[in-house]
Amino acid sequence: MTTTVPGTKAAFAADYDAPIPYMQRTRDYYQLLGFSSYRWAHFAEVPFTPLRTPLDRARVVLITTAAPFQPGVGDQGPGAPYNAAAKFYQVYSASTETVPDLRISHVGYDRLHTTAADINTYLPLAQMKRASAAGRLGSLGPRLHGAPTNRSHRVTLETDVPELLRRCHEDGADAAVLVPS
Amino acid sequence: MCHQTVSLAARHLEANGISTVIMGCAKDIVELCGVPRLLFSDFPLGNSAGRPFDVESQAQTLELALRVLESAPGARTTVQSPLRWSEDAAWKRDYLDLTKLSPETIAERKKEFDEVKSIARAKREAS
Repeated sequence: MTTTVPGTKAAFAADYDAPIPYMQRTRDYYQLLGFSSYRWAHFAEVPFTPLRTPLDRARVVLITTAAPFQPGVGDQGPGAPYNAAAKFYQVYSASTETVPDLRISHVGYDRLHTTAADINTYLPLAQMKRASAAGRLGSLGPRLHGAPTNRSHRVTLETDVPELLRRCHEDGADAAVLVPS
Repeated sequence: MCHQTVSLAARHLEANGISTVIMGCAKDIVELCGVPRLLFSDFPLGNSAGRPFDVESQAQTLELALRVLESAPGARTTVQSPLRWSEDAAWKRDYLDLTKLSPETIAERKKEFDEVKSIARAKREAS
């Protein structure tokens, strides 16, 4: 939907056709559930490491927040309702030789407009393999790594993130592509 | 929470010499946290790597992310994918409309939320 700009032939996009304010939406949602508002991570300084190795010689790892399929903990398939039992609480790794069975029923994605029927929408492993085979990447890391989506900043910062770094170093990573679900 | 988690991870990797790029759909969360590089797709959550069953959009999304990884001039570089989810942006309006949640759904979500918190606490204490 568009709106004509007064006095011109130009058209503005609809007011709601802008990036979704997820933090505000989460605050409203928590308030609806009766919880206090959430304090989002916020830093003034941002580290920056230029890519030191040309990409066609770099080793690139994939980091995901998708969860390994767990038999017996309920529906995790395409279109599954939010399934808190499918969450995971520790960093995991899986070989990139094959495509691991990773799902996103444990997170709050847009279930009205998305079914998570195609793993390639949240795990670009096939595309990264293609890029590696084509020489666009030097190599794809031998493992992908899974990051738990913990509400506790302390656990994420003090436990999970250092563990991800350790595993990236083990894999000889020059760079990482991180994909939230 | 996924976007915040990967933002915190990207910052830590970057501070330790590993260059990063996030492919994400929740621009505000990632930018407030502050990350080196973000390829933003204005798609519903769950589609950070492209549209479902659309290999071309998935290839284009990764290629844009790789270009951001290679060429960002400095921290807080965000590039928005030119791809559109659909002609109509009504999906954004739908997602923001919490009035559609019934009292039963709200009660159910609250119960789930409390359960997740207790599971997480137990797992933390056990580890």
